[in-house]
Amino acid sequence: MERVVATLEKGAQCCGWSHGGRRLAVGHADGAVSVHDSSDPSTRASARWMAHTCGVINVVWIPPEFGDAIACVCADGALSLWDEIGQDAQAVTWKMCKFFEGTGSQVLDVQFGVSLTTLRMVAAYSDGHVKVYESMDPLELNKWQLQAEFQNVIDSVSRFGKPSCVSASIAWSPCRGENQQSSFVLGYNSDLSQFNSPKIWEFEEAHQRWVPVAELALPGDKGDRVHAVAWALNIGRPYEVVAVATCKGIAIWHVGLNPESDGRLSTEKVALLAGHDGEVWQLDWDMSGMTLASTGADGMVRLWQSNLNGVWHEQAALECNGVQH
Amino acid sequence: MPGRASDPGNSLVPFSPEVRDPVVYPIRHGIKTPLFRVFVSWSHGNLLNVACLQASPPESNAAAGTAESEVNIGGKVVEVRLGDGDGEINEAQRRRIAYGSVPAFAMLQSRRNSLSMMSRMASSSFRNEWWRHVLEYSNQIKDLLGTPRLPSSSVIEDPKMVLQQIEEPTSLKVAWELMEIFYVDKQSSAWLPERLVDWLADYDCILAKTEPAIYSKLVNLQKKIVNIQVIEDDPEYWDGISSALAVGWLDVVVKLLRLHGSYQLDQLGNRETENGLVEAVAVLVSTMPRMRADVPTGKLGQCYKTKPDFVKAWEKWRGHITKLECSAFWVQCGHRQTREGLRNLLQIMLGNIKNLTTSTCHWMELYISHFLFIRPFSMGLEGMYSLAQKCMQLKPSSNSSGLIGVFMGILGGNTEVVLAECSKAFGPWMVAHAMELLMATDDHADILLHEERYNLGGISMEELYRLIYAQVLSSHPLTWQIAPTYLASCSKQGLGLLEVLLYRQSAHNYRVTLKNLEICRLYELENISECIMKIAGVYYWKHGRRGSGIHWLQQAHDEVRLNRIAQQLFDCIGKSISDDSFKQWEGLVELLGSEVGTAGGLEFLHKYRDFKRSLHLVHDKKAVDAARQTVESLVQLMRSPSTPRRFWLPLLHDSVHLLNWQGRPLLNVSETTLLLSKLQELSMAKLHPDFSDFDLPPQALATVRLALAKNLRQAILEES
Repeated sequence: MERVVATLEKGAQCCGWSHGGRRLAVGHADGAVSVHDSSDPSTRASARWMAHTCGVINVVWIPPEFGDAIACVCADGALSLWDEIGQDAQAVTWKMCKFFEGTGSQVLDVQFGVSLTTLRMVAAYSDGHVKVYESMDPLELNKWQLQAEFQNVIDSVSRFGKPSCVSASIAWSPCRGENQQSSFVLGYNSDLSQFNSPKIWEFEEAHQRWVPVAELALPGDKGDRVHAVAWALNIGRPYEVVAVATCKGIAIWHVGLNPESDGRLSTEKVALLAGHDGEVWQLDWDMSGMTLASTGADGMVRLWQSNLNGVWHEQAALECNGVQH
Repeated sequence: MPGRASDPGNSLVPFSPEVRDPVVYPIRHGIKTPLFRVFVSWSHGNLLNVACLQASPPESNAAAGTAESEVNIGGKVVEVRLGDGDGEINEAQRRRIAYGSVPAFAMLQSRRNSLSMMSRMASSSFRNEWWRHVLEYSNQIKDLLGTPRLPSSSVIEDPKMVLQQIEEPTSLKVAWELMEIFYVDKQSSAWLPERLVDWLADYDCILAKTEPAIYSKLVNLQKKIVNIQVIEDDPEYWDGISSALAVGWLDVVVKLLRLHGSYQLDQLGNRETENGLVEAVAVLVSTMPRMRADVPTGKLGQCYKTKPDFVKAWEKWRGHITKLECSAFWVQCGHRQTREGLRNLLQIMLGNIKNLTTSTCHWMELYISHFLFIRPFSMGLEGMYSLAQKCMQLKPSSNSSGLIGVFMGILGGNTEVVLAECSKAFGPWMVAHAMELLMATDDHADILLHEERYNLGGISMEELYRLIYAQVLSSHPLTWQIAPTYLASCSKQGLGLLEVLLYRQSAHNYRVTLKNLEICRLYELENISECIMKIAGVYYWKHGRRGSGIHWLQQAHDEVRLNRIAQQLFDCIGKSISDDSFKQWEGLVELLGSEVGTAGGLEFLHKYRDFKRSLHLVHDKKAVDAARQTVESLVQLMRSPSTPRRFWLPLLHDSVHLLNWQGRPLLNVSETTLLLSKLQELSMAKLHPDFSDFDLPPQALATVRLALAKNLRQAILEES
């Protein structure tokens, strides 16, 4: 059922798979990044370079329409973008095409989305600010323009204190339709409750601004620290499905496709899945958007599905923390 | 702590309220625990990538007792394939079945489409027709699952070979056959009991693997009879015969009876009566009336197709048995075992439940014996279900294999249970294909499986199970290409999933890209096709295969990127106007063509290319025509608004020798004036900060001005 496909070097501390899942980028504690292409565990990484002077805490692949490129988030809050280029298939190198310095606040998470033909990058900062950048060049990733900056709060008028955020989690809506609005969901793990609850932000073309169109938390749970979010692919459902992991478990939300009269999207929490003993680390939906995989501090990978009656349950679990021989 | 289910809310289907504890699979990755972090990512279909990262051990521990190679390992990445189905069939066989079932499935779908197109046709006539198509489909699939039993092909039969060794059927095939019997084959529904008898003949050897069964009893007997002298003295002989009779393996019974010692020539005289009784029973066995269309070669019994004929024959046959039972010959039969053995056979044939129970091993065998000797007629599912339960009580079985689950689901008339059991025991292939059987004649199942459900995201169960199977196919590089056939049959979400599947394929492999595009063309997925071409174009462009890159981007009509490429070329030429560097780009300009690109840059590039080419042709002073043509290109370029100003001077400087042409001037007065005015503009612009004059010699402007002045003088003289 399982086979080992890669062996990682000592110091590996984060992983990111390319869109089709064939390439793996690994960030190391010493600031190095390696890329693995082979499925033979005895072969070495196909590329390895020093991306930063301190540890890489997150690697994210950029959508394939923009080449084979990754973003590296560094422990000191800096962010760098790397592009694979070559004169021919053999002489391939990874070139840094953009560096965002961690000035003041740190980048906690970064995710890329494509809207029409433009590549957009959302970066969540440790001070609760969200920055949306737009790539100015469809071929090179070296020119970026700050398109918007806002706080992850519904009420933009009130003044809040400055939160201290431990982590952030962003997921773009995976729709790729030409007319689809560009939107993403973002939740924080911070000490200020207003910032935590996951909000769906949508770009309003008419006013050229980002507006929160839904909040994925029940009134009593809005302050819950968010550990992970994942937006399921929608291959034809009449609603979107978003998973949100907080300390209370993994909530499955149904989100309406079209805004209601007040401009907000309808939301319904259809399940709260408790299973992980400890913090949830990561969520990932499969390609049909029907199975959710979660990992957590209990060393388990849990697979969740809805049955024919719409009841969500744990279908299977993979134990990674067991006794190894 | 096991996972807890969420609140069920309103149930649509009464089935499956129970949520089982999840199955926990240990992942063997070889990394020392505790782990620092686990990362997951879904790849194609049901492939899950799991990366297990090791927590950094304290330095002191790291050195002690750990191999150096292990110290340097920071984690392992494991690929987990989920939901592959049962372990009875190996991967290669599974792939063979997967590929083999595509034509049958596709044919059935296309028939359904054409029939339903025609039939706005009354649905009843659709039903009457439809099951025949499904039967044909079922037979094609059945052939895939294993070869049918064939009668012995050898001319001389070994009399002691009572049980033919056959290729063992798989439980998958047996389950398929079971569903065909109950759901599809309308024609033989009157002969259902006899079809179950045939079915058991296959199933019994599977049953024998895990539980005591008649098949294993006979296999043991077969081994023994070769070495036994006086077979009729052995209780196992009689036991074997009675068991074989109980489940209707009449040929085996008769063969075994004929091995009876009384048939031997030297015995015949002494044991006449005994032999007569054995033969009488053998004849009764072989003439047993059976309600079925025909009996396969080598099998025994007399066929009756209709119930009245059968009942008549059955009564008569039973009369013969009763008569023999009461005959006085038994007293004259001196061999106790033979006497008792034969009378036991008669009791079985008379349907004595006690004898049947003793002669059978498993409840399923007892169940089938009911249809042979107690109630040889079709009965309703309800009756069959309660009979099965009665048999189970008489012969409790510890093992409840998936097949039994399917069987009970069928008898219980519960489509969801049948599908759930199929899914549990045989995996997604079975469910996706067996649904067709379930819906062949059963309106209820048809409605149930086609009903669109909000809980499933607006799709029906039929579509759901097909999507699940397509996901399994997508998980493997050798089978993903057949997934589109199944996805195309899903009206709601199939093409959506197909798009995702295609989008996730690697664009790095040229053949895969072509295959993807072929699939896009077939299913008219233009958007995704353009997307694939864009991905390929950008990949090749960035990986040094610029020509391929441009080709794919052109195919994708990606004007944004093509214009950007044109811009890059333009900038590049702008930076260095030398002939060498231009040669490098000339091919790409050619490839970019003139159709694509609204940017002014591209138009200029084409004109510039033409100009450079004709400039090369003017290699000697005699090529007046070529020189004239080149000058025309130059004037055109200088006139064109798309020619950037920074190129004016290099263009003019390149053409100095044309301006200084010996003999007739190449430019007329107005042309020369135009160029001079452009030169004047340049002189003014030279004061502008962003003015760049490339790497031209400092006196370039003066040289050009002088040449133009000379040309103007000559032109004026010429024209006056």
